[in-house]
This record gives sequence, structure tokens and C-alpha cells, in this order.
Amino acid sequence: MLPADCSRRLVAELQGALDACAERQLQLEQSLRVSRRLLRTWEPAGTLAPEARLEPETKEEDHSPACTPGPQDLKELELLTQALKKAVLARKVTSKAGERAKAPSLKSGSFATSPGMTASTPSWAPGQAGSCASEAKPTRGIRQTTVPAKGHPERRLPSAGNRARVGVGARATRPGPGLRDQHVALSAAPEAPESFTLKEKGSLLQLPTAFRKAASQNSRLWAQLTSAQPRDSTNATAAAKTYFLQQMQTASGRPGPVLSAAEVEAEVGRLQEACSLLRLHMKEELSAAPTDWTQEYRCLLTLEGLQAIAGQCLHRLQELHAEQPVAPCPVGRPSRAPPPCGGGAGPFWSPQLLLYSSTQELQTLAALRLRVAMLDQQVHLEKVLLEQEVGRLLLNGRTAG
Amino acid sequence: MGRRRRLVDPAAEAGAGALPKVIAALSRSLPAGPSPEIFRRAKFDRPEAAPALWQLLFRLLSPRSADGASASLALEAQVCLVKSALRSQGYPRLVLAQLPEDGSRGSRELLLALSWLLARGPLPEQLLAQAHVQLGDEIPVCECEALASPGPRVPHVEAEGPVDIRCVQWLMGRLRFRWRCLIASQQEQCTLLSKIHLYTRGCHSDQRLGHLSVAETEMLRDPEGGQQLLRRLERENTGLEAALEWRRGELVFWRWMDTVLGACPPEAPAAATQPTFLPRIAERGLGRLELAARELRALQEELCEATGRRRAAWEARVGGQGRGPQWSSARQALQKAVEQELAALRWAWEQDRGPARPHGPHRLVRCEDEAPGGQHLRAAEVIQALRSQEACLEAALRRLQGQCRQELARLAGALPGLIWILPPRC
Repeated sequence: MLPADCSRRLVAELQGALDACAERQLQLEQSLRVSRRLLRTWEPAGTLAPEARLEPETKEEDHSPACTPGPQDLKELELLTQALKKAVLARKVTSKAGERAKAPSLKSGSFATSPGMTASTPSWAPGQAGSCASEAKPTRGIRQTTVPAKGHPERRLPSAGNRARVGVGARATRPGPGLRDQHVALSAAPEAPESFTLKEKGSLLQLPTAFRKAASQNSRLWAQLTSAQPRDSTNATAAAKTYFLQQMQTASGRPGPVLSAAEVEAEVGRLQEACSLLRLHMKEELSAAPTDWTQEYRCLLTLEGLQAIAGQCLHRLQELHAEQPVAPCPVGRPSRAPPPCGGGAGPFWSPQLLLYSSTQELQTLAALRLRVAMLDQQVHLEKVLLEQEVGRLLLNGRTAG
Repeated sequence: MGRRRRLVDPAAEAGAGALPKVIAALSRSLPAGPSPEIFRRAKFDRPEAAPALWQLLFRLLSPRSADGASASLALEAQVCLVKSALRSQGYPRLVLAQLPEDGSRGSRELLLALSWLLARGPLPEQLLAQAHVQLGDEIPVCECEALASPGPRVPHVEAEGPVDIRCVQWLMGRLRFRWRCLIASQQEQCTLLSKIHLYTRGCHSDQRLGHLSVAETEMLRDPEGGQQLLRRLERENTGLEAALEWRRGELVFWRWMDTVLGACPPEAPAAATQPTFLPRIAERGLGRLELAARELRALQEELCEATGRRRAAWEARVGGQGRGPQWSSARQALQKAVEQELAALRWAWEQDRGPARPHGPHRLVRCEDEAPGGQHLRAAEVIQALRSQEACLEAALRRLQGQCRQELARLAGALPGLIWILPPRC
């Protein structure tokens, strides 16, 4: 059995560790979902049933509620189908002008102007379902001829009925995202299935202009902000701030700047860090084999210097101990040791890059990171146990003495 | 009362319009920033300005991860948390602690507290960095973020009396299992990321990056989500511009704050009530200090022994040789070199920084060429650093486990034959 309050704290810490792990797992799973979805076939943005690659399958999607056409649409569908039949007959004439001439006649308020939509229109009108099969083959051919016509950058497609088989086309309709070269992409489409996969066409993507502008502005502003920081330390603003803080301190009537609990903890943490760094250096020096007298002397000097520093750190700890016999902590959760890396005064956010060259390398990196985190957690748990015990021993010793 | 319409501030040399502009910029750069009118009313300690300032302070001081839950906290709870957070940061004025819990009064004091926080650190920038929109696939190369996150919130199970060791062992088993799952999921994520980076090669307008990140690709896949991302980015840009404007003009604000402080009645140096401490925490505070002291003492002893030996060996060796002029100049050079090294070492921990350890989140970029890209971090370097960290931690863990065993033996009292065996840790 562990001593009572010692174990309570340990259990609390373990629960906390479990919660933290669970949180990380949740975040990871979210990222995994997103990534998996990206690597699959991309669905059109209308969030309908997954794209059907094969014609016959479109019949099943007839009754999807999102694309129930109204009577107006049905009429227009009728018109469109008529026009398509004519287009099939005129298929041999593949002039762009011919296609464009047809396009305006098909224009209507709520309807697709793009002949490219013909691929899916047969499936919309339930009444037309029968003609689906007959339209299927011709529409394939039409797609070939209408590909050049799709060079128009802005197409208004009804949001309810966006069943673009050529997933690429769907994106052309929304403001912003577009393909670098629609012709290139689309001419490749007729042969391959109409769906979009990252593997095949990922290198054709292009970020929207608005986004690119915002992103570059963002990095520019951050750069400006981080460069504005060091200037602060030399000018009147810094002096004004220091003066204000001093006035706050004196106005409070309390004697001198008292080290807050957080600051004491931070300092203790720093001294612990110092200890491990010193130890590391000591090991390095002791393990190095000096080849000549200069190296030997240097080693000696270093060791003596380390010893002096250790003494100073110890002295500082004793000072802290004397100042703060009991360190009042804020009510609430116990805080962790301050992180070894740079704190808040460093660059707030700078776009630093990490280059990796293979999947293997990335996996090693990630696995090591988690291992280090896990070890760190274990070390923390051991320290918790130890601190409780040592503290109790000391208190018992004091009260008894 | 008629002066309410105008700002009367002799310190605003740059013109009466400068101060409200600067305050407005400050407000825009902070999350949930109140209007400049609130600030002005706070100078005159108007009660109606108090709740907005309490809420602002709460927003600034609460841990960022608690955002969703904390927004719904009642004002009283927010007041409580703000008070305790300020106390733990060392806020010097006692008036704050004495303000009523319902958040109805004290706007001037709150204004002073806000300024105190602003003076001590670059608060708007830190908050903006925390809420920064991630465009790339970022991976932190150190564990700062994880460490900074809050520890156990509320003990789920307040065990009455001693806890069975088996319960602890079970919890630890669960923890180990969760870590294993985490590592497995992480490996899969790495594979997927790598593929996405590979497939989108050549798309990015920024040549350094070369390929898209998950966020960017997702934006192309889902234009609605992309619009949201764009809006968030634009909001962040607005905040950044406001922060820059604030930095340019903040001197006016500080001069004004001096007048605000001057308008306060002097604090009576009454006997401050000692903040109550829980014995458990005091124990821990003592424990930490003592532990650190013990470690340093042990280190000092080892160093003493090592230097003693080396010094003796050195004296024995050198004593026989003569001391010439080139010897003393060489010696001085060595001394200087060593001093510099040790100074750099001191600076390392005094500046809260490890020996050039990579820090912060980095954007992952897949780049196969072996070009010596100096300014960018390479995965191989990070892996090396992590391996050495791993070794250090393993050594530290073994040492601590040994110490733990010793302490438990001591606690167990005068039962010399009893050996405490801790549950195994992998």
C-alpha cells in the first residue's frame, strides 16, 4: 500500500496523463480522417452520394432528395435533352463555335449552362430514367466534344444538382479554387474515369489567389511583428513600461519585488536544468582522453569551472529556500516543470521549415518524439512520487524537532 | 460629468485622437477586446466597465485549451480565476483581491491589472501566436507544448484512504496501452502525410515549400471549408495589423496609464492576509527545492572528486617541467577559452534555453535533394537530438527510480528487511 495522500496525487497525475493521451489520440484520429479522405476519390462539393464512375450506377442516385428537380427544371431538362439529341447527330462537326452557339440557348436561371453537365442530366429527371441507357453512350461522345468548350472559367451550376462527374469541373464553379490548366486536365479526363484522385492529378492543383494573397500577407505581418520586438528594448516605450511597473510596485506599499510562487518554481526548474547540463558536460570532459598537456589542462580548468558553477547554483537554491519557507501555490491544478526550451519571449511564430526526405525518416522522427514525451511523463510521475515522500519526511522532521 | 464626451489627457501630446486610436488597436489585437469607451470609463472607476474587463482578463489568463468550456463560466467563477491567476503571477496590489466577487466594481483596478500584464510581456503577440491559423503540416520538434498544457484538472477519483497498489498498476498499464495506440496511429498519419506531399508536388506558389499541405489540399477539396479558413486567416491578419499599430503608438497609452495610477488612492499597507496554502502543495514545493539541492550537492561532490584527482595528476606532471613565458601565455589563452565556454553554458539555462535545441512547431516539407540548405532544419538533425534526449531521459528515469526506492525504504521505517519493489515500468 502506498501512503494515502501520496497515492491520491499519483492517481490524479495518472488520470491526467491518461486524459492527455486520449486528447492526443483524438486529434490524431481527426487528422487521419482528413488525410484518408484526401487520398480517396474526391467527392463533388455538393456533398452528395459518392461519385458514380459507371453510368449504370447513376440510376440509383435518381432519388437523392438534394437534386429533386422542380417542374421548371423538368421542362428545361426536356429542352436540354432535345438539344442533346441534336448534338449527338451533329457530333461529327466538332467545331467550338457550334457548341458555343448551343450553350446560350440552354441558358436559364437555375440551370446549368455547361454542356458538360449533360453527362448527369439524364439521371435527374425520373421520367427520363428510361432514356438513360440510350443517352449513356452518346453522352460519352459529347463529353469529348464539349471538353474544349469547358474552357470558360466561371460556370454557374445549380448547387442542388451538382452532379458533375468530372469532379474537376465542380471546382471550377466555385469562386477561387481552380485548375492551373483546365484544358490539360480535362482532355485527360475522357479516357480515365471522371473521378479526381490526388495520386493521379494532385500536381495539377492550384491554390486560389485570394488565399495566396492572404497567406503571404500573413507571413509578412508576422515578420514585421517579430522584428519590431527587439527595437522595443532600446526606446522610450520600454522605459515607460518599466517605470509603470515600478510605480505599481511602490504604490502597493509592499516591500520590494517579491518572487511569486511561479517565479520560484521557474527558478528551481532552471537550476535543475543547470544541474543536468553541468552533469552532461562533466561526463563529456571525463570521458574525453586528453592527448597532450594543453587538452589536459583545459579539461582540468573546465572541471574546476563546473564545480564553481555548481556551487553558485547551490547557493542560489539555499537563498530561495530561506526566502520561501513555504511556497504558496495557486489553488488549482499542480503545474508542471517549466519547459526546457525557450519561453514566451522568443519569436512568437516564425515559419520554420523541417525538411524530411522519406516516409521512413518522418516515421522515425514522429516515433522518437512520442517516445521522448512518454519518457518525460514517466520521469515526471517518478518525481511526483519522490517529491511527496521527501517533502513529508522533511515536514515530519521539522515538526518532530 | 460633462467631460465624459472628451478625453482629457494632458499626456497625449500627439493629439487628442491618438489615445483612443491606440486603445482601439489594442482592443482589436486582443481576443474579446472591449471598446475604448470601456477603457475611458475604467479610468474613472465606473462600475459599468467592470464586467467587460473581468471577462477580458479571464480570457487572457485562462489556459488556451479551456476555451470552449470556459466561455460558459459564470462571472463569479471568472472573477475567482482571474484573482488567483494574478496572485500566482505576483500581482503587487492587494486591492484586486478585495474586489467583490460578483464583478460589479473595480474597473480602474482591472485596468491597472491589464496594463501590468501588458507591461510584463508581449501579450497580444503571444495570444495571436496561440490562435495562429495553421496552414502547413506542423510538427513540434520539442515537447514544450505538451508540457505547458495543464496537468490533471480534477481528480476523477478521490480515493478515501490508501489506494491499492494494484489500482495504480492498472492505471499504468492503461497508460502504456494508450501510448502504443498513439504511436501506431502516428505512424499511419506519417505515411499518409508523406503520400499527400508526394502527390501534390510542384503545386505550391511558394518555391521553398514545393508541395501542398493537408490543410491546403483540404481547402481545395472542400471549398466551403476553404472559405472558412480564408476568413480565419483574414481575421488573423486584422489582428496582426492591429498589434503592429498598437506597438507603434503604445507610448501614449503608457503615459495615460501613469495618470490612471496617479488617480488611485494610495494603498494602506495593512497586514496582508497570507494566502492559504495546502499542506500537500507546501510539501511539494519543499520537496522540489530539496530534490534540486540534493542533486546539485551530489554533482558537486562528484566534481570535487574528479577535479581533485586531475589537479593532483597535473601538478605531478607539470611540477617537474620548467615554467617559461610561452607556458603562461598559453595558459591564459586556455583560461579565457574555458571561461567563454562556461559563460555560454550558464547563459543556456539562465535564458531558459537548452544548448541550441530546436524549438517550436515546424512546417513539414518533403524534400529529397541533399542540398545543404543551411537555414532549414533537417529531419536527421532532429532525430539525432531526440535520440540524445531519449538517452538522457532514460538515464534520469533509472536514477529517479533508484532514489524512489531508497526513499520508500526510509519511509517504511525501521524495517530493514523490507525491500520496496515498484511496479515495473517499460
